[in-house]
Amino acid sequence: MSAYLLRRIGTSIIVLIGISIFMYLLLHVVFPSPARVALGLRANNAQIAAFNKANGYDRPVFDQYLTYINGLLHGNLGYSYAENQTVAALFAERLARSIYLSGISLLLAILIALPLGIFQAVRRNSLGDNVATSLAFILYSMPSFFLGLILIQIFALSFPILGFEASQSTSIWTVIGDWHDMLLPILTLVLITVANFSRYMRSSSIDVLAQDYIKVARAKGLPERLVLTRHMARNASLPMITLIGLFLPALLAGNLIVETLFNYQGLGLLFFNSLQKEDYPVLLAYTLLGAVFVVLGNLVADFALTVADPRIRLA
Amino acid sequence: MTRFGTKRIGGIALAVAGITALAACSSSSSSSSSSTTTTPGVTTQAGSIGAIPAAGTPSGTAGSITYGYLASNAPNWILPIIPAADNSVYNSFVFGWQMWRPTWFTWNGSSPAVNDSLSPVNAPVSSNGGKTFTMTFKNWKWSDGQPLGAADLAFTIDEIKAAIKESPANWANYVPGYFPDTLTSMSMPNSSTLVLNMSKPVNPTWLQEDIIDVGMMPAHAWAKASASGPTLDYTNPANAKKIWDFLNAQSKSVNTYATNPLWQVVYGPYKLTAFNATTGSFTMVPNTEYSGPHANPQSTFVGVPFTSDAAQFNAIKSGSVDVAALPPEDNPEIPSLKSTGYDYYGLPAWGDYFAAYNFKDTTGDFNNIANQLYFRQAMQHLEDQPGQIKAFLNGDGDVLGGPIGAYPQSPFLPANGKTTLYPFSISTATSLLKSNGWTINPNGTDTCSNAGTGTGQCGAGIPAGTKMSFNLIYNATSPITQEVEDLASNAKQAGVTVNLSASNFNFMIQNYIDPAAPANINKWAMMDFGGESFSTYPTSFGLFNTGGSGQIGDYSDPKADSLINASITSTDPAAVVNELSYLNTSEPVLWQPLRDHVYVWKTNVSATTPQAFENLTQYDPTPEFWFITK
Repeated sequence: MSAYLLRRIGTSIIVLIGISIFMYLLLHVVFPSPARVALGLRANNAQIAAFNKANGYDRPVFDQYLTYINGLLHGNLGYSYAENQTVAALFAERLARSIYLSGISLLLAILIALPLGIFQAVRRNSLGDNVATSLAFILYSMPSFFLGLILIQIFALSFPILGFEASQSTSIWTVIGDWHDMLLPILTLVLITVANFSRYMRSSSIDVLAQDYIKVARAKGLPERLVLTRHMARNASLPMITLIGLFLPALLAGNLIVETLFNYQGLGLLFFNSLQKEDYPVLLAYTLLGAVFVVLGNLVADFALTVADPRIRLA
Repeated sequence: MTRFGTKRIGGIALAVAGITALAACSSSSSSSSSSTTTTPGVTTQAGSIGAIPAAGTPSGTAGSITYGYLASNAPNWILPIIPAADNSVYNSFVFGWQMWRPTWFTWNGSSPAVNDSLSPVNAPVSSNGGKTFTMTFKNWKWSDGQPLGAADLAFTIDEIKAAIKESPANWANYVPGYFPDTLTSMSMPNSSTLVLNMSKPVNPTWLQEDIIDVGMMPAHAWAKASASGPTLDYTNPANAKKIWDFLNAQSKSVNTYATNPLWQVVYGPYKLTAFNATTGSFTMVPNTEYSGPHANPQSTFVGVPFTSDAAQFNAIKSGSVDVAALPPEDNPEIPSLKSTGYDYYGLPAWGDYFAAYNFKDTTGDFNNIANQLYFRQAMQHLEDQPGQIKAFLNGDGDVLGGPIGAYPQSPFLPANGKTTLYPFSISTATSLLKSNGWTINPNGTDTCSNAGTGTGQCGAGIPAGTKMSFNLIYNATSPITQEVEDLASNAKQAGVTVNLSASNFNFMIQNYIDPAAPANINKWAMMDFGGESFSTYPTSFGLFNTGGSGQIGDYSDPKADSLINASITSTDPAAVVNELSYLNTSEPVLWQPLRDHVYVWKTNVSATTPQAFENLTQYDPTPEFWFITK
């Protein structure tokens, strides 16, 4: 186990270094310097040269990269020239908000989608299954932006029982407690995610129900409740673990579309705005952090699989 | 001239000239009236849409008025000396100017001119052939009771010099070779008079509305190198540098804006009491020592950021914001605004929209084609501005025929600038090309069949057989996409093949501006990224003068150079009119329709002067005049 862990961590570090080099080169190949965007159309050559010098963009790319990596190793994510704040401060202000929005939505989606998928599999082709399938298809094919707009129109504007925007507090505890304003953005994410997860769970459950060990369990006279919970649910959930692991990066992205629509300042929106302003330090840090989350998500999923299925061994 | 580029595509153009950033949107109209009219209860204005309630008088207690803007434009700079990287109308007009009004406040309602009553300094008096300027201060006070005077502007100028010496990017308005490089000396005959001596003449209006249009800094409170340090002699360059370094660092400390004692010393109508660096929201309370006019009682001013146009429009629909811009894509909702409890008013934001020509692109001899005035005139005839306004702008726009449009009404608008001199007419365009040696091939591609430089010939450098075919790279947003597609379609009917190529704003300004990207000089013939804005003194200095710092496609015309130079150096007010008049005829770019910038405010928000609503369309709010009526 420890050897496996060390190997995975080593591999992850190599992957992260590769991603950092790739992203750095990609940005600098497309736009060697963001000066024109950062300073505006009116900036003259003297101002652009000064900006490039101040931010190191007048140096060779590899030299710039080494400086950047050196900063990273010393815990310095850089300074946002577009926001006039350190990248670390920008992330610290928004990370908890994004994790909460995505995390609570993911949790609720799992709690709803897994039982729903099992229900649909067990009652395959019943009225309930068909209704749930139809709803899932509708929601799955609906852009989150559109779904959010509909929910806002109905529950915040036509019948103003919920807030039209998410909580504006910068205290994460206040945000967590503000169900009036947080319900709609969470609901938007939950509905779309449930539509996604429940289809996977239904399909996986149907496969498991056809397995011999289910038939044996039933033939042995095991109560149906135990068949479903002890034998089917656990095995049907295995693909879901991988799927959920891959969703972890969404905690970072914070669901940009929903943040944008519901006036919620999170990391996804920060990334989007930084992209428009070509704020390289933020873009690089965000991408690297995203890579870390992807690697972590996969690692967690692998370990979770061994717990869920003792037949799987890490080697 | 200041340029604005659409930083937000489709809608927002970023202006920057004296400090200006502009968003786009446009106006209207098309209204045919030509003067301001006042009817009982409302004020309407030529070229505008919507109406403004008549001036009111506040009663009762002061309220709190929220002002919406996009979070991506949230304030991130507080010092009145604004670096190029932080130069936006939101940092200056919306945020900074509430605390430190510029020496001369522009706008005057919807008129691109100085508003004397909001300006702490009297108009500069020019002498010595335009090289000496005497500025006298009004009897305004700082919030700590100290008088605002000549020393404060001198301190500000010395700090500008220190900032530039450290980096030219530290002051957005800086152009090498111009102010403050041309400032030879300053003197203070008394505490309320400052005299500036320049090495070369400067047009006084240009100086007033663009060059020194800055918020002033308190010499008695900010001339120090640390929070608890002693007051330093800022006229000593070494001290000026220390002071700049200190103030610059404080301004970068975004999280302390509301708590830093420095920023509490103001002379504008408001003081900052809350600032959220994460969301960009802020709260300002009235500066009780404010010396300028204001409503009494004066309302609290609250800036409320929104993460998107959709979020902002949802706020409008829910009635949760008092004053906000109407996102351009929501202009069709204007008829329903009244029923949701909002008044609205729209006017083109100051500036222009255009597609630029590349006068250096040798591909297919385009450089030589673009140099022909008849070609540029023909292209303008192929631009169906009225049709585009109707089809793509919800009718909310105005025809543009030169660097500035007919609306907002500038005192410098030339007689030939009320509309385009080259209105939409495919047949006229065809005739122009035909009469200059081109064989017309409608829906095909025209060919130069009569090469040469004489009358009726194609022009210098255009060999026989040259095809009238070139590319146009555009910022793929609305309405630019629709506009260039319409242009290409019309052009095709005249045998002009315009090959469209989609791009985005950031990529275009980094790769298709000749002086900045000479390696790509033959990769584009025309490009359309949006537009630009000006300072209220509408010289095109920078954009159309040869070698100008804001040049896009290397337009060069000795006569234009001469007129532009006169605009910035002559004391003759007619100089800039002559410049604009000439550029209206010479078509340095392809002008495109202006778009209305529409603002909405709740019907229970009123103002002591209609101008306090008019200037919203120019990103220039004066909330000290607003009040809640019920």
